[in-house]
Amino acid sequence: MQSTRQRRVAWLSFALACGLVAAACGGDDDGDAGAETTEVDGGEGGGSINISGSSTVEPISSLAAEAFLAENEGVEIAVDGPGTGDGFELFCNGETEISDASRPISEEEVARCEENGVEYVELQIAYDGMAVMTSVDNDQVECLNFADLYALVGPESEGFTNWSDAQAIATELGSDTRLPDAELVLAGPGTESGTYDSFVEIALEGYAEERGQEATTRTDYASSADDNVIVATVESSPTSLGWVGFAYAEEAGDTVRTIPIAAEPGGECVEPTPETISDGSYPLSRPLFIYVNTAKAQENAALADFVDFYLENLTELVEEGGYVTLPDDQVEATREAWASR
Amino acid sequence: MALTTISSSTGAVRGSVERALRGARVDVRGRLFEAALLACLLLSMLVLGVLLHTVVTDGMPVYTERGWEFLDGALSSSASRAGISQGIVGSFWIAAGVVVLAVPVGVGAAIYLEEYAPRNRLTAFIELNVRNLAGVPSVVYGLLGLAIFVEALGGFSGQSDVDRRTLAAAAATLAVLVLPIVVITTAEAIRAVPRSLREGAYGVGATRWEVVRTQVLPYAAPGILTGCLLSIARAVGEAAPLIVVGAVTGFLSRGAGLSVSNVVDPGHLTERFVALPTIVSHWAKLPEEEFKVANSSAAILAMLAFVLLVNTLAIVLRNRVERKRST
Repeated sequence: MQSTRQRRVAWLSFALACGLVAAACGGDDDGDAGAETTEVDGGEGGGSINISGSSTVEPISSLAAEAFLAENEGVEIAVDGPGTGDGFELFCNGETEISDASRPISEEEVARCEENGVEYVELQIAYDGMAVMTSVDNDQVECLNFADLYALVGPESEGFTNWSDAQAIATELGSDTRLPDAELVLAGPGTESGTYDSFVEIALEGYAEERGQEATTRTDYASSADDNVIVATVESSPTSLGWVGFAYAEEAGDTVRTIPIAAEPGGECVEPTPETISDGSYPLSRPLFIYVNTAKAQENAALADFVDFYLENLTELVEEGGYVTLPDDQVEATREAWASR
Repeated sequence: MALTTISSSTGAVRGSVERALRGARVDVRGRLFEAALLACLLLSMLVLGVLLHTVVTDGMPVYTERGWEFLDGALSSSASRAGISQGIVGSFWIAAGVVVLAVPVGVGAAIYLEEYAPRNRLTAFIELNVRNLAGVPSVVYGLLGLAIFVEALGGFSGQSDVDRRTLAAAAATLAVLVLPIVVITTAEAIRAVPRSLREGAYGVGATRWEVVRTQVLPYAAPGILTGCLLSIARAVGEAAPLIVVGAVTGFLSRGAGLSVSNVVDPGHLTERFVALPTIVSHWAKLPEEEFKVANSSAAILAMLAFVLLVNTLAIVLRNRVERKRST
C-alpha cells in the first residue's frame, strides 16, 4: 500500500520534471522564432536604436524615445545612462547607435572611434547651466569667482555662518572680492543631484585638488532635491546664497537675483543669461551632446527618422527634461550639422 | 534497590535536588540569556517593521492614485507616466530561467554527489568548492555573465552590438548564480533521508536508480522544493549582476503591458531587458522626489509581493508533498 503511493509521488515528480524540461525546450524554440520575426521587422526599416551614455542626458533621450514611439510603432529603442565615458566606450566599439554625452568627446575616445572605423556626427542639444543666486535685497555682493565659491561652499567652509568667515580662504586663493559681514544662509541641491555634481566639478574641483581636499561641498547647508524649495529658501533670507539649475532661477524671475560669476579671481564677471550660456562665456555651464553613428544612420532608416524627430522637437524635449534650451540659431546649427552628416 | 541508593545518598545531593524540585532558586543567568535572545528577536523585527512602514507609506500613494496604470505602464523619464510592467516581465522570465536551467542541473548534480559519487578527496573538494561558490559576491557572477553569455555567446540572440545584452543572458547569469544554492540545499535534503529507507529498498533487491526514484527523491522532495523556491526568490531580488550584464535604465520600447500574452511571450528573451530590482536601484538614484521616494517604494512593494508569492507557493507545494507522503 505504502509503496504504491510512494511510486505515485515519484511518478508525479518525474512528470513534473519532464514538464519543466519540455517547457524549457518549448521556450527556447519560441524564443528563436521571436527573434526571427523581429529581424524581419528590422529588414523592413524598423530596426533597433540603442542609446547609452551620460545619465544627465538620459532623461532627454528617454523623452524623445517615448514621444517618437507614440508616432512610430514597432521601432525598438532602449535608453540607458551608465555615464558619458562608458557610453563612448560602447559607441566607439560600434555597439550603440547614439551616445549621450555631458562633455565633448575626448581625444582618446576620438582615436578609439577612428581605430574601429566608427564615424559620427556631434550634435549639441542643450546646456546644463547653473545659476548662483542671492536675495534681491542683497546689494553687498556684486560678483563671485570660483575661488570665492570654494571659500563659501567648499569642504573647508564647514561651519561658516557669516560671509566674512570665508574671506581668509578667498584671499589666500587670490581673490580680491570683499565678502560682506552678513549672515550666510546657504541652499543648494543634495548630493544625489546632477546639478550638485556639475557644480562641484566645474567650480570647486580645481581648488579642492590644489588644496588637497576632497572634491565636495560643505555638508551644513539647506539641501533639497526640489529646486523650487532652494529658490524659496534663497528668497526668504536677505543675505542668502544658493545655486540651482539655470531653468529654475530663470523661472523664479525677479524674486531672486542671480550673481554674475567669474571663472578665476580677476576674470570677467558674466551674468547668466541664455545668451551668455549659449556662447560659453558664462563659466558655470556645460554643453550636452548626442553623438550619432553616421554609418548606422545610413543603413537604419528608423535611426535617421528618430534623430530627425529628436531635433525637430528639441526645444520641447529639453524643456520637459528641465535643461537650458539652445538659442534658435544654435538649434539651426545643430540641425544643419545633422543634415550635412 | 534503586530506592535504597537514593536514601543512602549524601545530604548535599538531596539538598540540591530538593531546591531544583521546589524551584526556590531563581536562575538569573538563564533569565538574562532568555531576555537577550528576546531582544535580538525584537531588534530584527523592529528593523523589518520600520523598513516596511517606510516603504508602504511612501509607496502606497502611487497605487491609490495610479493603481493598475503604474503596474501596466512602461519606463519613462516622466515620474507620472513611469510604470514597471517591463520589470515584472523581466523578473518573471528570470524566475522562469532559474526554474528551467538551475533547478534540473542543480538537483541532478546534488543527486549524483550524494548517491552515486564515491566518497573520496575529489568529491570532498568539489563539495567545498560548491559551498564557496554560494558565497561569491553576486557582482562577480554579473561579470561572468557579461563575459560568457553576452560577449562570447552573443546573449543567445545572434546580435553583435549592445543588443546582445538580452534577457536570456540575464536569466542564464542568475541561474548560474543560484546553482550552488540549489546544489547545497538539495544535497542536504537528500542527506536527511534515513539510511534505513535506502537499506530496506536495497534489501528487497532494488537497483540504485530504483532506490533514488522511489525512496530518496520522494522523501527529500519537500526540502528540495523549498531550496529551489528560495533560490528563485534570491534570483528575483538581485540587481547588481543585472546592472553589469546590461539592464536598461531610461527607456525600453518593447514588452510594456501586463497582459498574460505579453508577459509569457518568450520573444522577450532575445530583447534587451529591465527587472524590478534594477528599476528600484535606478529610480532611487534620480533627483526627483516622485521617482526617488514614491515610485521606487511602489516598485519595492511590487517586488515584495512577487517574492512573497513565490515563498507562499513554496510553502503550499511543500505542505502538499509532505501530506501526500504521510497519508
